[in-house]
Amino acid sequence: MAFRSSTVAPKNRGDRWGLLYVSPFFFIFGIFGLLPILFTVYVSFFHWDPLAGHNYIGLDNFRNLFTDPYFYRAVRNTFSIFLISFVPQTILALLLANFLANPHLKFKVFWRTILLVPWVTSILSVAIIFSELFGQNYGMVNVAMHYLGLSHIGIHDVNWVGQTIPSHIAISSMIIYRNLGYASLIYLASMLAIPRDLYESASLDGASKLQQFRYVTIPQLKNTLTFMLIVGTIGGLQTFLEPLTYGGVQGGDSRQFSTLALYLYEQIIINNKFGYAAAIGVAITILTVIISGVNFLVTRRISGGES
Amino acid sequence: MFRGNLRKFFVAGISLFTLLGGVLSPMSQAAAPINLSIWTYGNVIDPVLIAQYKKLHPNITIVAKKSDLDGNAQALRYALPSSAVPDIAAVEISYMGEFRNYTQYLTDLSTLTPGAPSLASKYLSWRWNNMVADSGQVLGVPTDVGGLAVAYRVDLFKKAGLPTAPDAVSALWPTWEKFIETGKGYVAKQKGKAFIDIAQTIYTAVVNQGAQKYYDGSGNLVYDNNPNIQAAFNYTAAASQANLGTNVAQYSPDWNVGLNKGLYATVLAPAWMLQYIKQYAPKTTGLWNIATLPGNAGNQGGSALTIPTHAAHPQEAWDFIRWYTAPAQQKFEFINNLTFPTVTSLYTDPKVGDLKDPFFNNAPIGKIYSESVKSVQPFQLGKKDRLIDSTIGQALSRVQLGKQLPQAAWTQAMSDIRRAIN
Repeated sequence: MAFRSSTVAPKNRGDRWGLLYVSPFFFIFGIFGLLPILFTVYVSFFHWDPLAGHNYIGLDNFRNLFTDPYFYRAVRNTFSIFLISFVPQTILALLLANFLANPHLKFKVFWRTILLVPWVTSILSVAIIFSELFGQNYGMVNVAMHYLGLSHIGIHDVNWVGQTIPSHIAISSMIIYRNLGYASLIYLASMLAIPRDLYESASLDGASKLQQFRYVTIPQLKNTLTFMLIVGTIGGLQTFLEPLTYGGVQGGDSRQFSTLALYLYEQIIINNKFGYAAAIGVAITILTVIISGVNFLVTRRISGGES
Repeated sequence: MFRGNLRKFFVAGISLFTLLGGVLSPMSQAAAPINLSIWTYGNVIDPVLIAQYKKLHPNITIVAKKSDLDGNAQALRYALPSSAVPDIAAVEISYMGEFRNYTQYLTDLSTLTPGAPSLASKYLSWRWNNMVADSGQVLGVPTDVGGLAVAYRVDLFKKAGLPTAPDAVSALWPTWEKFIETGKGYVAKQKGKAFIDIAQTIYTAVVNQGAQKYYDGSGNLVYDNNPNIQAAFNYTAAASQANLGTNVAQYSPDWNVGLNKGLYATVLAPAWMLQYIKQYAPKTTGLWNIATLPGNAGNQGGSALTIPTHAAHPQEAWDFIRWYTAPAQQKFEFINNLTFPTVTSLYTDPKVGDLKDPFFNNAPIGKIYSESVKSVQPFQLGKKDRLIDSTIGQALSRVQLGKQLPQAAWTQAMSDIRRAIN
């Protein structure tokens, strides 16, 4: 017993010192993370206009939120843009990473650097350039589609801003353009960590390159894919600057590409409704928690099923 | 004035300048160098005039931060209660109904020396009154006024068999019905071309011809039962449904290309827009001319300069504003930027009244726009002008794109407005 307590005591002391070392994080998180969140919840119970003052209205903001068709439209748009950007991005990134993981590839560093260039450009310049590409009358995308003969199957002069799905595709393409290189490099890093002997035994068993990719590479990337999915959904829920720069605060004439974050911003910048904006913020937080929970459960199920 | 994709870039820049203003403000002493900060947008503040002012007052350096119309007003709105305000802020006419209520945040210019009321008689009276609060405080001095006329392409009119001389063209459309009729005839002959760049611009033109907009004289909202608003909406919807315009957004890159390539036969142009056309469609020199608006009177745009209550250098700011809005400077701006003056004595000044521009076939710009702004009827501006403008604009855009029929679009606009302002 004496022996045991003497080992526990220094450990406890160490814990206390440890807490002191990590306390700056909690202190800063408290001020810049927790406090704003709590204040947002507080503001969401008010009719709050910074120039005209505020008054307590209880749950009215939330009641309005649940009957607000544009809130639901923003939820729909957010998920639609997330899916249209995340799925193709993941497929492309895996293919690119697989290509770069090829041990016989020349100029490896060059290719990897090139991939990361879009990641360094600002979202704003990407959005401005893409707005030009997606112009209806003279945009390069429509012109290219015309020369590809798509007008013969009824696709011509697409209004990339006015119509819902085209606008989602245009915005998603900006997100993909910017994130693709980053995602590829993450996949590449974990591909390079896959033991080579797995591939060797697979090829000894007569597996083709495609089969190796499907049955060796993909299962080995499971953890990375899960990580990218979680980071991707959280990023997707915050989609803001791309639609804002692409078509303004309201996200189109019928809010066809207004995302949750953009709708929150609209309440502040156009309607002066800080309380309502705070309520939307609370709703985004709850949605994020739910989705992260679902992601977590799904991941645990998958990993539990395999082991 | 100009809405575009660049706007967010400028909004992001505001924080930097706010910081700058805060750092520089304690330096106010009589002889010491002074930095005057200005928040502005579009072409309201001319860099050449700023350089001239520096020559006249070597101790004063003007730091102008330029953003777009909405970004400028939104940043200013939330900066006003703080100390992070500029010394001078430009306010555009669609936001004046809001900012003229901020009597506690904007300096009453009557309290400075010399008092603002002594200047009032020099300016176009309805533009002066735009920034006078209900309780009488003078919160801003007008810089320019938009006016409104029809810029049209002489070559395209000729091709479509329409008259090309300004008087004959103006005579084509004494009313908006006739304007739309002319347009229908044009698009029937010129397949694939647009009669007007954006049909939705008709709405603003018609609305600003009325004696009442979204508020009545005592400040009550009348947007949903003012017959002039309804009429403006219907004219615009009719033009959209007759395919007179294109689907692009004004000032978008696509719109600029269309301007250069001659896709549009007409553009409803405030005076400042002429400069925009010159800048963005340089290939079309000499192909344009200017006719009067149906109903003649018209306005779109115009600004005022204000001094926030918490400004660091109110007196120096006031000295600058008086100089900048004085006749000589307004004349300079009109000749160089085509922003139309609000100083009425200039309308009879030969340099202004007879100004002709070869780009527009030597149309008498000064004469056309002074007549346009003189016959505007003043109406009550209100707090939610910009919001209502843009919500109805969205409804009209839905009609233009064929997403909704006019009646459904109008009904939705009304409920959207109610939801947004409650």
